Amino acid sequence: MYRTISVVAFAVTFAGIVLNCIVSPCACCKEYWRHPLKRLVGLFGLLLIKRKSSPVDVLRKLVYLLALLCFVVLAVTGFYPILVLGEHISGYLVMVHITFASVFVVCLAVLAVMWAGKCCFKRGDCRMTRRLVEWFTGVKGPEEESARESFGVGQKVFFWLIIVLALPLTLSIILSMFPLFGTYWQDFSLVVHRYVALAFALIAIVHTYLMIRSQIN
Amino acid sequence: MALKKGLILTSFLCLPALVLTSGADLEEKMLGDESDGSRAHLIHLIPLMTEEGDKIAPDDDPLLPFSTSKTCGECHRYATVTKGWHFNAVDSQAGSGRRGQPWILVDPRTGMQIPISYRRWPGTFTPEQVGLTRRLFLRIFGRHTPGGGIGERPSEDPSEIMRSMVSGNLEANCLSCHDGDPGHDQAEYDAQVIRENFRWAAAATCSFASVTGSAKDMPDTYDPIMPEPPEDPKLVPPGITYRANTFDSEKRVSLNIQGEVPAERCYFCHSNLYLDNDNAEKWSSDEDIHLKAGLTCVDCHRNGIDHNIIRGYEGEADVSTNRLSASSSCRGCHLPGESSSAPTAGRLGAPVPEHVGMPTVHFEKLSCTACHSGPWPGDKTYLTKTSMAHRLGTLNVNKSHEALPHIVAPVFAQQPDGKIAPHKLIWPAFWADMKDVNITPIPFEAVRRTVGKVLAKQELPASADWPALTTEDIAEALKALSAEQSIEGKSAYISGGSLYSLDDSGQLKKEENHPAAQPYLWPIAHHVRPAAQSLGIRYCTDCHTTDAPFFFGDVSIDSPIVAARGSVKMVEFQGDIDALYTKLFAFSFVFRSWMKAIALGCCMVLASVLLLYALKALACVAKVLAGQD
Repeated sequence: MYRTISVVAFAVTFAGIVLNCIVSPCACCKEYWRHPLKRLVGLFGLLLIKRKSSPVDVLRKLVYLLALLCFVVLAVTGFYPILVLGEHISGYLVMVHITFASVFVVCLAVLAVMWAGKCCFKRGDCRMTRRLVEWFTGVKGPEEESARESFGVGQKVFFWLIIVLALPLTLSIILSMFPLFGTYWQDFSLVVHRYVALAFALIAIVHTYLMIRSQIN
Repeated sequence: MALKKGLILTSFLCLPALVLTSGADLEEKMLGDESDGSRAHLIHLIPLMTEEGDKIAPDDDPLLPFSTSKTCGECHRYATVTKGWHFNAVDSQAGSGRRGQPWILVDPRTGMQIPISYRRWPGTFTPEQVGLTRRLFLRIFGRHTPGGGIGERPSEDPSEIMRSMVSGNLEANCLSCHDGDPGHDQAEYDAQVIRENFRWAAAATCSFASVTGSAKDMPDTYDPIMPEPPEDPKLVPPGITYRANTFDSEKRVSLNIQGEVPAERCYFCHSNLYLDNDNAEKWSSDEDIHLKAGLTCVDCHRNGIDHNIIRGYEGEADVSTNRLSASSSCRGCHLPGESSSAPTAGRLGAPVPEHVGMPTVHFEKLSCTACHSGPWPGDKTYLTKTSMAHRLGTLNVNKSHEALPHIVAPVFAQQPDGKIAPHKLIWPAFWADMKDVNITPIPFEAVRRTVGKVLAKQELPASADWPALTTEDIAEALKALSAEQSIEGKSAYISGGSLYSLDDSGQLKKEENHPAAQPYLWPIAHHVRPAAQSLGIRYCTDCHTTDAPFFFGDVSIDSPIVAARGSVKMVEFQGDIDALYTKLFAFSFVFRSWMKAIALGCCMVLASVLLLYALKALACVAKVLAGQD
């Protein structure tokens, strides 16, 4: 059941991303076919840190890249056994999974602190919502702020979803390591961890896609 | 003439009906085969019967022992009873079930300890394979059998047929288990079996009978029903006397028969002594928690008249016809059934375990007994004594800790179902005939004749331990065996997990981890420790540390060859588990508490950020709704 749901969910997510690329291609995608090597180098260039960055920006980027690496490792070690082998995670994969999970949760906490301010929703994030609020309250707000320095609304939504889901994702496993829950709740917390991990992975993938897109644009 | 024809016709027509009726009789239950439902104690004031089916009277001459098949068989179908687990080892139709404790043939002089069983469990040899005839088997191991089975089989050895007439059959001894008389002496059974007084053995255990003499000393022509004094006046023929006032006026005897067998009766054959330094005495070790909670063995190990007793292991229901077998295992009693219409958990007051903080993967990888049964594991396995292997409870037992056979426990090994469970282990040591890859034990008598002669110079310790053999001794014995005519292949010696043989130049060759030299393991079920004494109660580190006995305890390698003794790590017996991985995983527990603290700290940070911005959002909404912005 979980295997099927996971496969379908990943397929739909990746299909959605591809569809989005086709329907609304970014600058990178448009030029990709003309200069594939150049654009590929450009894509990897996103991993580099700009020379004029402040120490905080450097730290933020490093933590983000580390979190990204941990996420990839966690997703592979967590989903590979269940999706490909059809069995539960065990052996060395568990050890790798636990080790990277510890680093990942620290990165998430740091990113939450560093990005939360930038991911606050602003008036101009959603025109429809703004108009709805203005109609409802009768108060006309100030002009739209420039969104150049902050994230897009999609990134903000997915960022907050990531932070929200990180809590049950972590606690479902950490709390089961304490002598608190009996067999039934141990099983339940494992199920919670699996499904939350799936949702988290999909959201993180979309968030990363949006991040790359916004950086290129 | 017509009348005669009519009679013939009627008889002919009635014949099928008669056959059917007699068939129905065979299936019909006897008086004592089915309970009427009363839980009251049943009085057995019954006549004693000889094996010929005659009632015994105190003034009979000669006075004969009673036969259980005839005495008990008056009301209980003996043939049905003797199909039960305790009697059916020789029955090829009976299933073998899970591996159990084998008989162990021991001879310190020739460096032998070899597991044998009629049940053909993998790793054991049949008595015939090691050259034990029915008579020899009964003399050595009959002491801890309840009779029946091989005790009633005709011998395949022609030279033993006449002896069988003298000794009689070792019938199923119902009193071994069901005699509630405090004066019952099961050790006397051993004494009689050694003297080949098979016919007298059951009666000798009763408090109201005493047996003298020895059938073993009698000539083949001796007739116990019409006995003649032996030619040698020093020899005493087997005979029985019944205590005065045993019989009432109607020549009946009152037997204190217990339907629910007391645990003391089971203990005669099923006692274990784990020889760890702290609890090497019976008084200093605890009994099974179930017994202390007020249960008896038969509360879980139940059977009907067919004596198809529940062994109590997981998966038994797949091979047993006992309908209670599924609900009488650990899980059956303690855990809620998944498919049963009525609740089965908690029977007999069994607590339903919570297993707080225990990751559920443990239930996939471990049997219940892994954490709850047997002695608490130490850095090294303990020498272990059992009734069946060490004659516990019989006369003149060697109480030395080192007495052979050397059984070690607990060994946490993988079972055929993939789960790890505690086991007892024995390293087979025997002389073998090797033809290509086939290894068969050389018959016991041939080994004693040849190897015994070569190793006669070795001093046997009083502790009944191994003599201190060297590889030179083995080489010498192998050379002597090579000259033995009965050996068709190459002679070899198996011991301590290795196979020793002579190469073409006559030098001793050692093959380690030879398949034929693998240890024989059988699961430990009892004694069950209480929850507070189970593995994991003190934390994960009961098992997950780099030196935890569960994975890294030393399993002793036992051998009469001094140089071959040593140890192997427990993890080697745990299937596909990688020792390096286990070590690394155990090492990770050093940081486990740090990891938990950091993860919880991070969760608090995440929750704080969420709360902070949620409150900010709420403030914005409140402002907007208040018309302030």
